[in-house]
Order: sequence, then C-alpha cells, then structure tokens
Amino acid sequence: MNSSAPLSANTPGPAAQSSTPSTSATTCTVQQIASEEEFDQQITALPSSCLSVIYFHAPWAEPCKQMSTILSTLASTYQPGNPQRIAFFGLDAEEVSDISERYDVSQVPLMVLQKDGQVVDSITGTDASKVRNAVEKHAGASKSGDAGKAGLPPAQKVTKPAPSQSLDDGKASMNGNSSLSKYAPNSSDPATAPQFSSGEINGATQEASQEELNARLSELVKAAPVMLFMKGTPSAPQCGFSRQCVSILREKGVRYGFFNILADDEVRQGLKEFSEWPTFPQVYVDGELIGGLDILKEEFENDTEFLKDYSVSAQGKTGGPAAPAKQAVAA
Amino acid sequence: MATSQTPMEDAIRQKVTQAFAPASLEIFNDSHLHSHHKAMAGSTSQETHFRVYVTSDTFEGKRQPARHREVYSLLKDEMAAEGGIHALQLRTKTPQEAAATTEAK
Repeated sequence: MNSSAPLSANTPGPAAQSSTPSTSATTCTVQQIASEEEFDQQITALPSSCLSVIYFHAPWAEPCKQMSTILSTLASTYQPGNPQRIAFFGLDAEEVSDISERYDVSQVPLMVLQKDGQVVDSITGTDASKVRNAVEKHAGASKSGDAGKAGLPPAQKVTKPAPSQSLDDGKASMNGNSSLSKYAPNSSDPATAPQFSSGEINGATQEASQEELNARLSELVKAAPVMLFMKGTPSAPQCGFSRQCVSILREKGVRYGFFNILADDEVRQGLKEFSEWPTFPQVYVDGELIGGLDILKEEFENDTEFLKDYSVSAQGKTGGPAAPAKQAVAA
Repeated sequence: MATSQTPMEDAIRQKVTQAFAPASLEIFNDSHLHSHHKAMAGSTSQETHFRVYVTSDTFEGKRQPARHREVYSLLKDEMAAEGGIHALQLRTKTPQEAAATTEAK
C-alpha cells in the first residue's frame, strides 16, 4: 500500500483554508498557512532556536488524513515555550505551490523540519514514530513523555471488550458488517493500550536502533500472558479477522492484553520481521507466537481446555469489566 | 497465448505444489468479500484475500505456526508486492489429520 502520493500539477486544489492564528494556549496546534506571504511572515517571526515542523499535505491524498491526525496529536503534546521553541505549520501543497517549489515537494505527505532557515530533516510517508523521533531529536522530548519510565509498565493493561453490536461467531463468512467499513478512527479513540505506545516509553531522543526495537518487541509480546496484536481495538476492530479473534477470546473468557498495530507502524513492520509472520492479527501466549485467527480457531477446536489457565475464572477474579453474563466460563 | 487473469492464484498453486507435493490443495479467492473495506480502498486487484487448504505429509512433526510460516515464506514476494496478497488464511494438515477431521464430522 502506498504510504505517500505523488503530487499532480494538474489537479485543482480546494479552496484555501483560512489560517488560524497561533493561540497562546498551553499546547501547540498545527497552524494552517494559506499563502507565501503568511508563511514567510510566520517563519521570520520565530526565534532562530525554534524548530519549525512544516507539513505539506493534499486533501485528496488518503495518507494525508492519517498524518494530519498524527501531527495534531503530536503537536498537542508540545508547549510552544517562551521563547518559542517549536511551531507546527500545515500547508496545502498545491494551494501554496510557491512554497512547495521552494522545498521541492514532489510527494505528500511530507514533513520538513527547519531551524533558523535551514532544513534539518524531512520525512515522507505516514510513519508516526519516524516523525515523532525526528521532532524529538531536534526539539527535545515533549513534556508529556515521562523520562523516567523505562521499558514497559509493570501491570498489564487487560481490556475486556465491552459487549458491542452482535459479532460473527467466526463460523460465518468473512463479510465485515457495515460498521466496519464506515469506521474511521478519531483522535478520541484509544490508539493502543496507552502504556505500550512508543510515545510514552522513556523520552528517548534517539531513533530506535534495530536492537532496541527487537528488545522492545520481545518485551511487548510478553506484556500480558495472552497478547493480541490486532488492527484496531477490541471495541473497534478494523479488520474482520481481528474482530473474530476478539470475539473468540471473549467467548472463551480469556483475559488478554491488546496492541493496535495500526497506531504504531514501527511495531507493525517490526513485529512481522521479528516473528517471521507477515499478517495480523497475531496471538502470543507467554511471549510465544501461537499464530493468527486460523490457528487460534483450530486450537480451540482441538482442545476445549486451550487457554483455560488464562481465563477470567481461572484467575480467581469474580468477573472482568464486561457484563459477566456474556462471559463463557470454560467447562 | 492469453495471459492469466489470476496471476496470484496461479503463483500460489504452482509454488505450493512444487514445495509440498500436496495430497490435496484448495485455493479460495475471498477478495470480493473484503473489497468494500477501508483497507482495500483504492485497490484494483481482485486477488487480495485467499483461503488455502493444503494437505501434505511434509507437515508431519511440525507445529501449526511452523507450517504456516513455511507457506508464508514461500509466498513472501506475492505478499510483499504492491497490490499483492493482503491476507492469507491457511489450513495446513497432514493426510492423517485431514482424515481424522473428516471422520469426526
């Protein structure tokens, strides 16, 4: 799948967005720039030590929608500071084509990092962690990152999905119900079990090296006795196979942790290589890959006691967060 | 010679047959069931989602994840390709296992 789209000079751009004056609120927002003059004005007004994060987008390019959300979320974790140390700008690459030419923009989404008139970094595509790492590298970690938190949290975040709309039993075909195709994540949806998202794991300013990534992944797969790496979240799965996994685990009353791989491209790609498994969802038990949906189903078919040790009843708790009546207690 | 309309399926059939000398091989193209999903927006391929059932005695002594991995690595290029195979559901059995399942039903 494309993670960036080439700019076409012939496509008419939409109406220019009106620029939002940068607020004096405590957190940063992405300020939309509508003209070359405005751009120059804003940039020259900044102190030379200030990092400008300049985001080129085009409304017709699908990946830009994702990157827009990622960037405004990232921006909100920063404070502009006094003197201002960081600023975020958004530019419709075709509307403000003079600026696009200046920066030689040929693909969107494109993130250009600039300090004191010099381009210090540029990133194409929709890799959230690449952008975050680059921003942290040049502007320091955002205030919200806890510098002290190393590795992963001690207590697992176990989420029992709330009983939502009726889901397939897994026997039915792979038809997604209509809610799947209409679903679009908004910023209030949990991106992932929060402790696991890379933004909160120590305020490291260096890009994760391969070793660090592998170390992080090997911890991540053990974060809970049963871990589900899925597309979306248990309450809002983004793929039929992930949704069926959630359904089966819930039916069997299994306690598990989840990770939304759509919210973290580094984990998404890294885990594929780490486990030599090209698809999601992936189910791990005690750090070992069991497989995907097919294997999960088969394990339960072959062995009704499968994962019994990890079920709600086995752990001596009186029921998970979901409506107890819906939990199937293992026979 | 006419070019095949189903290059992915052909590749699956050819590679799996060659690697596993299967007693049975069934390939189902489920792409039409997923074509309306967001993840498939913009895709023009009609060969994105497959179910593959393989019965082969080369699977003997290997656990399911290992068997699946073998099939995945065989089709690595097709899965990595732009517009290639997006999802692959697998059933990998030895002839004995397949017989046992049929009996149980």
